[in-house]
Amino acid sequence: MIALDPESAKRPEFIKVRIRRQDAPGQEPYWELHQIPYEPELNVISVLQRIAAQAKTLDGKAVPPVAWDCGCLEEVCGSCTMQINGRVRQSCSALVDRLLEDNDDEIVLEPMSKFPVVRDLVVDRQRLFRSLKRVKAWVPVDSYYDMGPGERQLRAKQEQNYPLSECMSCGCCVEACPQYTKIELKQKDGESDEAFEARKNEAFDEAFVGPNAISQAMLFNNHPTGKALASERMDALTGAGGIQACGNAQNCVAVCPKEIPLTTSIARAGRAATVHVIKKWFEK
Amino acid sequence: MSTSATNAESFFLRHEFAIRRMHSLLGIVPLGLYMVIHLTTNASLLNAPETFQRAVFMIHSPGKLLPLIEWGFIFAPLVFHAGLGVWISKTGKLNSQQYRYASNRRYTWQRVTGIIALVYLFFHILHLHGWFHADFWLAIVRPVGFGSFRPYNAASSLVAAMQGFVWPTFYLVGVLACVYHLANGLWTSGITWGLWISPTAQARATKICTAIGIGLAVVGVSAWWAAVSPGEKEIIEWRQVEDRMYEVGVEAGIVAEDEHKRYEEQDMGELPAS
Ligand code: SF4
Ligand code: SF4
Ligand code: FES
Repeated sequence: MIALDPESAKRPEFIKVRIRRQDAPGQEPYWELHQIPYEPELNVISVLQRIAAQAKTLDGKAVPPVAWDCGCLEEVCGSCTMQINGRVRQSCSALVDRLLEDNDDEIVLEPMSKFPVVRDLVVDRQRLFRSLKRVKAWVPVDSYYDMGPGERQLRAKQEQNYPLSECMSCGCCVEACPQYTKIELKQKDGESDEAFEARKNEAFDEAFVGPNAISQAMLFNNHPTGKALASERMDALTGAGGIQACGNAQNCVAVCPKEIPLTTSIARAGRAATVHVIKKWFEK
Repeated sequence: MSTSATNAESFFLRHEFAIRRMHSLLGIVPLGLYMVIHLTTNASLLNAPETFQRAVFMIHSPGKLLPLIEWGFIFAPLVFHAGLGVWISKTGKLNSQQYRYASNRRYTWQRVTGIIALVYLFFHILHLHGWFHADFWLAIVRPVGFGSFRPYNAASSLVAAMQGFVWPTFYLVGVLACVYHLANGLWTSGITWGLWISPTAQARATKICTAIGIGLAVVGVSAWWAAVSPGEKEIIEWRQVEDRMYEVGVEAGIVAEDEHKRYEEQDMGELPAS
């Protein structure tokens, strides 16, 4: 990536950043405008670092530093996901020079809208990880014994599976999905942490699992050892909030930063669900 | 929410998959299939009132069984599909303003046309069919211009009901919304049931469904035009043709005698009687 040409008249002196902030879970969000001097080759994380360091809005008001999340800084952990100029993506790989090409006025940062906000740009993506448990997105090996060599995987199968294994559980797909709606519960007075956790899980488990979990279910159903749980995964996908809740808007596949063929997985899961349900019905 | 789930909600959640698949299936058979037959039959009026009348005689040949067929294969599936459709459209949160992808716009339109189709079909059935054919009910709705289709005076009563500007506009919008909803619904159902899986297969399916949609739109607009373009002159002429066909048909034993299905003088007071 190349920075904007230093001679270019379009190259600004300052970068304005509008941020949707929220002090704590359940509080009212509010907008704040910040400004930092332009530097070439910034990404949104480095912009946020500068904003936190100066902790002052454009009109000079001192404010607590903006909170955000990040980890790998190379688009593999997914923790820095947020809405940038209205589109969900990773902030570590969002290059400021590219953003200014599209809109040189300002950069707009918002937290993801489908998860409860913890603070400012930090959200709680617990439901996303819960959905992986729902579809048992793992390979069942719980034995100390040597089971011998695994089944051979055909090349074609490997090539089908590899892209699906790239999912980093960032949540872009569910953020853009019109069928995935936010669930935000509040701990009641006197409710124990365990009881609250159980109540949350119950709510998550009957809501839409989301495209990433459907795709992970297909990945492990296609795995030589993972397929041992194929039928249980299909039970989960045909249960409440399963694959039937997908409305085929196909936003998920359009926004996935890893270009995972989510709608192919969804259609495969649809076919598997058709077969699974008919088979189960006749085996009753 | 979960903790306060009522029995109905929990029944729904347990059977959500089957209910949604049923919704998808019923949209294609019988509803989609019926729509194709219905529009084609109506478009046959472009040929001649006789062609249309023959088709209607055939449709009405089950006689007393017809209401059973209508309710079992058309109205009941329609009510189910529509009711669940409203619920489905409420489970999602449209975002095609924010994510302006073609498939997302289609998703939004599927919901919009579904609601239009729901309103349209409710009034369309009331307007021409009347929903129920009990005498007391007809005595209420017919004087206000509903239930105005007469199967044994098919073309003339249809044309008479489609005069003016309001109904024709309403029908054009309604028919096109139904056509879109079916063509796009066919495409999404292929993914739902796992018929087209890969992106290339889905792209091919898009072309096929677009072709089906355009074809059906042409048939639908033809059917619409066949009903709205004739005027009072045709109404009178065609009524005579239909009466002749009825009398001969009854005599030959191919049409069941039923005066309720015919035009009555007081029906359309404002129009010249034959
Ligand atoms: S499927 Fe793509 S968008 Fe969804 S969580 Fe995985 S990497 Fe993110
Ligand atoms: S295809 Fe399904 S999962 Fe993907 S965005 Fe659309 S509704 Fe959501
Ligand atoms: S910090 Fe890991 S993806 Fe951005």
